[in-house]
Amino acid sequence: MSGSKANSVLATIALLLSIGWTVGWIGGWLVEPGTWWLRVALLSPGVVLAGIATALLLAGVRRKHRAVAHYFETLARHHLSALSSDTIPEGTPPLPADKQWSKAAARVRDVLEEYSGRLQDLKHAQAARGIHNRRAASQSQRIKGILAGLSEPILAMDDYGDVVLANQSAEQLFEFNLENAETRSLAELARCQKLLDLLTSTTQRKMAGDRSDEIEIVDKDGNSHWFRATASPLSSGNEQTEDAGDNTPGVPESHGAVAVLRDIGDQKTLQKRNAEFVSAVSHEMKTPLAGIKAYVELLADGDAEDEETREEFLEIINGQADRLQRLIENMLNLARIEAGVVEVSKQTQSLNTLLEEALHVVQPSAEAKQIQLVSELSPMYLGVLADRDMLLQAAINLLSNAIKYTPEQGTVTLRSRLEDDKIRFEVQDTGVGLSEEDCGRVFEKFYRVKKDKNMAAGTGLGLPLAKHIVEDVHGGLLSAESTLGEGSTFAITLPNAGKLAGQLA
Amino acid sequence: MGKRVLLCDDEIHILRAAEFKLKRAGYDVQIAGDGQEGWEAIEAQKPDMLITDCQMPRLDGLGLVARVREHEETRDLPILMLTAKGFELSSDNLAEKWNVLDVMAKPFSPRELLGRVNAVLDKEEAPTA
Repeated sequence: MSGSKANSVLATIALLLSIGWTVGWIGGWLVEPGTWWLRVALLSPGVVLAGIATALLLAGVRRKHRAVAHYFETLARHHLSALSSDTIPEGTPPLPADKQWSKAAARVRDVLEEYSGRLQDLKHAQAARGIHNRRAASQSQRIKGILAGLSEPILAMDDYGDVVLANQSAEQLFEFNLENAETRSLAELARCQKLLDLLTSTTQRKMAGDRSDEIEIVDKDGNSHWFRATASPLSSGNEQTEDAGDNTPGVPESHGAVAVLRDIGDQKTLQKRNAEFVSAVSHEMKTPLAGIKAYVELLADGDAEDEETREEFLEIINGQADRLQRLIENMLNLARIEAGVVEVSKQTQSLNTLLEEALHVVQPSAEAKQIQLVSELSPMYLGVLADRDMLLQAAINLLSNAIKYTPEQGTVTLRSRLEDDKIRFEVQDTGVGLSEEDCGRVFEKFYRVKKDKNMAAGTGLGLPLAKHIVEDVHGGLLSAESTLGEGSTFAITLPNAGKLAGQLA
Repeated sequence: MGKRVLLCDDEIHILRAAEFKLKRAGYDVQIAGDGQEGWEAIEAQKPDMLITDCQMPRLDGLGLVARVREHEETRDLPILMLTAKGFELSSDNLAEKWNVLDVMAKPFSPRELLGRVNAVLDKEEAPTA
């Protein structure tokens, strides 16, 4: 720094001297023209001094240039990030002393610092975006995993009717593979007009909330599956459609809708069974009611002229009223047991005593058909833990069923015995018997075996009720074995209530 | 001798009530316990009218009606249905497809049944008489 200053001082002195000499030389020439050697002698030191001054000045300027160049070079060499920091990095040369240069250098440095700052921001933003992208990717992977794991089929459609998302369940249900499919059109992939309508109407009315509808999907084997589809509009997310080319101005942004399908097959079956049940009940009730009304009318109209006919009609009316009452009672019992609201009071008791009572109850109806009731009860005490009224009901139901489906002069046998550690009793008849199909369905409500003529009509509830009583209330088993045309055996096995109880009795 | 009416039902007391009412009115009443028996009676007795239940073992009412309409000689037999089935049966459809004159719902009035039988058989008689 002092060197350059001394340099400029020397250059200034040399310049002043050379000017002085030049002035002196011109003055001398004016004073005393003609003495050339003197003039030359006078001029020479001036020229030399001017040369020296020029050289000195040039050297100074060059040094300054070098310093500035060095400064910029150093600036450029330094990592830009270092420059942006507040502390001046090591090895940074001092700003050139010259005012003009230092101003320019400072400006350049400022600009560099600014750009470096921006670059840094960009790098930060890029890093943040990278993290965001990775997170989004892992999140989308997770959502895909969740969707794949869901048993409910899920389908999303954009505003143009194309499927944009379908989970595994949906692909299985509609039998397509979205990745390999030739088309993405929902209309062609799903072939379910109702679902398409639902999604379309949802996309068109973006403000409306969820919409839902029951849809039927028929698979390639012709089986129909019922679903409740709930569709919700998709908000205009930017990830929703990947083809950004569609987002040209003038084309509305795609919204779309997503539908979740819930299997309501069980519900439908239940509904159907319920409707069938109601229809069967009404039919069962109307038949005895028809008898009552018809005979009441005949009596009222005076059609029955003799006492005997009137008696007969009154008896029929009474019988039909009983039948109606039985039906209603059976239905109520069944409903109560099924709903689990019936009060069960179980006590250890003798099965044989209970069976004898049942035999006594059905004796008149057997006699009316000249059916022989055979009792082959075990001589041993058989203890069962049972609700007396309920088990009695089950036994009566089996016995009266056997009597009902056995032609006149047939035989109905009631047996009881200890079998292994269980107690078994069975009702065997020589009746019409059951086909294999009937045997499997005989415990269904209102299932009626195609009965022979002259067979009294049952309620269609006796066997289902007995099965409920035996299996659900007493933890036993009721099964049917039959040969068509030869007769049937209904067998009940119950847990043995033990000998201790036997001693008590 | 009165016109021959065949009653077909698996409920004996329904048969008995209808038979009683129609017999008193002078009709010759045959009874059958199911569709199969009904068809056999139709072939053997050639009744002038058939009154049948719907839900019956072996051959049900619709099966019997179909069989009656399939056979040349019974194609025009007047048929009346008497059923406890409610909404499952469309009388319009029965009339259109099988030419069933009427569907009466159970519980029924024997008086009304007689009225309808009279209407059918008296009307039938008119051209021939």
